[in-house]
Amino acid sequence: MRQIERLAEMPEAGPAIEAVGIEKRFGHIRALDGASLAVRSGEVLALIGDNGAGKSTLTKIICGALAPDGGELRFWGRPTAVASIRHAQDLGVETVYQDLALAPDLSVAENMFLGREPLMRRLGGLVPALDRRAMRARAAEALAGVGISLGSVDRTVRELSGGQRQAIAVARAVMWARSAILMDEPTAALGTRQTAIVYDTIRSAADRGLAVVVISHDIPKMLSLADRIAILRQGRTVAQERAADLTLAQVVTLMLGGNGREEAA
Amino acid sequence: MNGLTLDPPAAGPGPLGRALRSTPVAMALVVAVLILGFGALSPNWAFLRTSNLSTITLNVSVTMLLAVGITMILAAGELDLSIGANVVLSSVVGAKVLVALSGTPDEVRAAQYPDLALGVAAGIGAAVATGAAFGAVNGLLVTRLRVNSFIVTLGTMGIGTGTALVLTNGSNVPYVPRLLQTEFGVVRLFGVIPYPMIVVLAISGVMLYVLRHTRFGLYTLAIGSSREAAERAGIRTLPHVFRLFVLMGALAGVAAFLDLTRFATTNVGGHQTTALAAIAAVVIGGTSLFGGRATIAGSMVASLIPVILATGLVILGVQAFWQLIAVGMILIAAVAIDQRRRERLK
Ligand SMILES: Nc1ncnc2c1ncn2[C@@H]1O[C@H](COP(=O)(O)OP(=O)(O)O)[C@@H](O)[C@H]1O
Ligand SMILES: [Mg+2]
Repeated sequence: MRQIERLAEMPEAGPAIEAVGIEKRFGHIRALDGASLAVRSGEVLALIGDNGAGKSTLTKIICGALAPDGGELRFWGRPTAVASIRHAQDLGVETVYQDLALAPDLSVAENMFLGREPLMRRLGGLVPALDRRAMRARAAEALAGVGISLGSVDRTVRELSGGQRQAIAVARAVMWARSAILMDEPTAALGTRQTAIVYDTIRSAADRGLAVVVISHDIPKMLSLADRIAILRQGRTVAQERAADLTLAQVVTLMLGGNGREEAA
Repeated sequence: MNGLTLDPPAAGPGPLGRALRSTPVAMALVVAVLILGFGALSPNWAFLRTSNLSTITLNVSVTMLLAVGITMILAAGELDLSIGANVVLSSVVGAKVLVALSGTPDEVRAAQYPDLALGVAAGIGAAVATGAAFGAVNGLLVTRLRVNSFIVTLGTMGIGTGTALVLTNGSNVPYVPRLLQTEFGVVRLFGVIPYPMIVVLAISGVMLYVLRHTRFGLYTLAIGSSREAAERAGIRTLPHVFRLFVLMGALAGVAAFLDLTRFATTNVGGHQTTALAAIAAVVIGGTSLFGGRATIAGSMVASLIPVILATGLVILGVQAFWQLIAVGMILIAAVAIDQRRRERLK
């Protein structure tokens, strides 16, 4: 981990995350067929594409939830086969999944620490136990850090609204991320005000030096929020440009088809 | 409601109200009412005599141990219907090993057990190992073949019972030393707490701790609540489920040996309603049949209900078989309540 943090401070080592020519098939479906993206530390990359374009699949490959059938992943320029979600987490990469991946019967605090719970020792160090007090305190702190005011982190996720759940998934990713955050439609269940808070969170995460990939259908907002835009069409990256160099019309054309590449260039 | 603000806890029920809403506490009240009710109805309060209550504890011990194991299985969203068959098979293997190592065939036939200590130690090992192996088979079938655990354990229930009958030709293992019973199985600490119950309480205490305070327990609940979420959190769910079935099997092996000490014989035709009783106790005690929510204390308390009903009915001169009918009805009611609760929270 320490080594990774040092790497993250060396921009000349290459983008924090780079996906090159990724391929993924589900049976006969070619979900990804030459998908690429690159995002540097301190940068927000918006990944845009129509439904079924392969955005979620690409995210899951980068975070180790799915294995690619072809192509290469690089972290700080170094080719890396991400073997598992744990592996990606060890690289400092956190994910907000489109389906949130929260366990409804566990508490907010348990969900935020699941898989990485702090332990303490009881009976003179003989018996391990979950350090629930630390979990509660740090979960509440992380939620407050992304602008979520909070009654109790002991409530189960089942009791919460869709928006509250999404906020927890975002706070969890922000809490653990050391080098990059992947957010798959993190504002889909949120109202206007809450959406604004998440966008602020994304910007400040990038300002703290994290690489952020955000998937969203709000193209105008992405054009102003993101540093760069990657556009995926039918599993293939059809453009990767600086946001400042693109117009809404160009993005829509690229996303939906036509001779978009020339228009964007 | 504001999407990003978690409501402060509602000014709801106080400590007493909350305690009454917790299923283990509610079940403890039900048990207390049943005990006092049968006490009042029984001639000369015979039901409340220490000897009677002590016998109830003895009768409940094996079911309670199995219920504790089933709590972990249900917590992970799985099911094990084969535990009764596992107890029978494990007790047969344990008894055979125990008898074979306690003395020569001629000696044991004459109720002489020169190597009893060795035999008992090996018998315990064999029973627990058989139970764990049985559980491992369940676990492998569930995790490798990806067959639903309801079906897998329905199948192994038959396989286990059949194997026990094949091994014994359908009759009980002969020459099991009576000493098991007279020195342990029916002995009571301070004349009150049966030895087998002490073993059950000790194991239950450990399991209670494991479920509440360890990663193993939390991961079990996480898997039962959402397997997808558990996997995304980096938990390797299949090995975990496998371990749970091995644990359940090992507990069935312990139950098998406790059974052996209690009756000083195997019971190859028995334990046909054991799985039902244990699963019913767990669900009645407040563990969700759908995984993710589990209480070992609730299972322990609720496992008393069938035995109290059976004993109470006998003392009242009613056929004990009514107990099966009552438990079946309570089970269905408990699942209906659980389902309602989930739907309300959706
Ligand atoms: N687990 C899966 N099994 C089969 N097909 C899948 C699976 N996941 C995604 N797909 C298919 O792959 C394509 C890309 O899906 P996805 O990555 O979810 O797109 P997006 O997130 O851009 O909407 C779609 O055609 C989808 O149906
Ligand atoms: Mg998607």
